[in-house]
Formats: sequence, structure tokens, C-alpha cells
Amino acid sequence: MPTIRSGFAHPFEELREEFDRLWGSLTATPTMRAEWAAASGGFPLVNVAESDAAVTIEAEVPGLDVGDIDIAATAEELVLKGSRHASAPDGGDTGSGRPVTWHRRERLAGGFERRIAMPVAIDASRVEARLVNGVLTVTCPKSMQAQPRKVEIRTT
Amino acid sequence: MTSEMRAQNGAASAASPRPTPRAAVRSEGASAYTPNVDVCDCGTEVRIVADMPGSSADVIDVAFDDGVLSIAAAVPARELPGTLVRQEYGVGDYRRSFRLGDGFDASQITADLTRGVLTVRIPRLAAVRPRKVEVRTG
Repeated sequence: MPTIRSGFAHPFEELREEFDRLWGSLTATPTMRAEWAAASGGFPLVNVAESDAAVTIEAEVPGLDVGDIDIAATAEELVLKGSRHASAPDGGDTGSGRPVTWHRRERLAGGFERRIAMPVAIDASRVEARLVNGVLTVTCPKSMQAQPRKVEIRTT
Repeated sequence: MTSEMRAQNGAASAASPRPTPRAAVRSEGASAYTPNVDVCDCGTEVRIVADMPGSSADVIDVAFDDGVLSIAAAVPARELPGTLVRQEYGVGDYRRSFRLGDGFDASQITADLTRGVLTVRIPRLAAVRPRKVEVRTG
């Protein structure tokens, strides 16, 4: 919290601010995206395979529906963007008159954005995606220039 | 976390929510991955929500025995075309168990798998549910 200093501040005032700042940093809830990043190095985790014709990206996105993910492709990169809902609202009530108690919260929720650089140029107009049982598979056909071409050898 | 409920599996991943790549744990002689879970106590029931991407209902096994709830899935292998150029996770079976203790109605446990997320509801026996007591006046 920036404060405008006029002349000099009283030492106790400065000390109080310092404590406020420290307390704020201790009690602040880290943003979901920071948690995702800390926990996994990025969400979703991806496996990438390359064949002669295409680059295939597979990502584990349990709980996500088709409408929860946006996929944007350019020739050089693929961007996976979206958000995942928490499994139940915080402090929710289920009719027992008692708030829920969490014993474990390992499934992180919130917004995510993952950029995956393509190993070769792809044809963004022909990218296809499938979502089955929480596994997203994106097939990115290589651009014609990036595909291997068989070279005929002449003997004359 | 209360002492009432502890992940029984020695490799419970609470301390390291998501190793990269996912670390396989060995138990009962076969390797399996430990799914990330949310466990919440709603008073009338305990709900376990587990991320098990790649699983379908026919490969999942949920069992409740002697106060221990076990979830497992035999996940079929998935082959990507060509050669892997980046691998951030492995594909394999899931297994994890939870010691819930007594007071649950085993016959009323339900399990649902939606989009790779398994939700198991374990209702408490009516006798041990928290009960709100009305205070009368006069």
C-alpha cells in the first residue's frame, strides 16, 4: 500500500507499516494461477509427440467440459486457456446445517493458460481437438513446408 | 486435517500435490499413480473427489472394507502417433485408499465418474449424524 510521505515519518509509523506489509504477505491467498504453476509447472500437463504428418498434444484436464477450454493455434504455438471449477463451493452447506470441512484439497481450481511452442510450423487451419474422459488430444497437422518430402535421385 | 481421516497410502501426495512428471508409487507389487483428491466432510456424508483422467466407469473399482475406502482404476495405455518429444506425465493405473473409521453406511455408498473425475459419497449412519437440537421455551 503506497503512502505519500510528507517530510519524514515517525519511526513507529514506519514500523507499523512494515508490520502491515508483513502481515499482508503472510495472510494473502496466492492466486490460483500461481498455485497451479507452483504445483505442476503449468496446467494442464502435456505430452507432445511428433510424426511425419502432425504434432499431437495430449493434456490431462479432468473435470473440464468442452465449453471450459479455449484452444487457439498459430503456426508456431498452441494456447490452451480456460478454468476449472472447485468440487464444491467453499463453506457450502448441504442441508445438515453445518458447513463442510475439507480434509484434503489437492485438486486446484481456477483459471489457467498454457502456451505450447510447436517444434515445427503447423497448419493452424487444420487443427483438431477431442476431449474424452478428461483427456484432451489436439492434432496439429504440419504445414506443407515442414513436412518431409521424398527426394528422387536421378542417375543421369 | 483431523485424526479421524488420514490417507492410508504411505505415498499420499498431500505434501507434494503434483510431482512433475507424476511419480509412480509402488504398493502391492504393482506400480500405480496416486490421484489428486478433494476430501470433504459434509456432516451427513464424506465426499471424495478424485482426478482420474483417462478412466472410464468399466475400469474403476471402488471398495469399502473395514472402515477403509479404496479407489483404483486400470487405465488403458494411450499411444500418441510418432515419437514423444515432451513428456510431463505418465499414463498408468491409479490407486489410493482412505481410512474413514466407523459410523458409515456401506450399503449406501455411491460412485460417479464424469469427465475423468470420480466422486464417491459415503453417507454416515443416521445414528451418528450430527443432529440439530431444537431449544424449546416455556
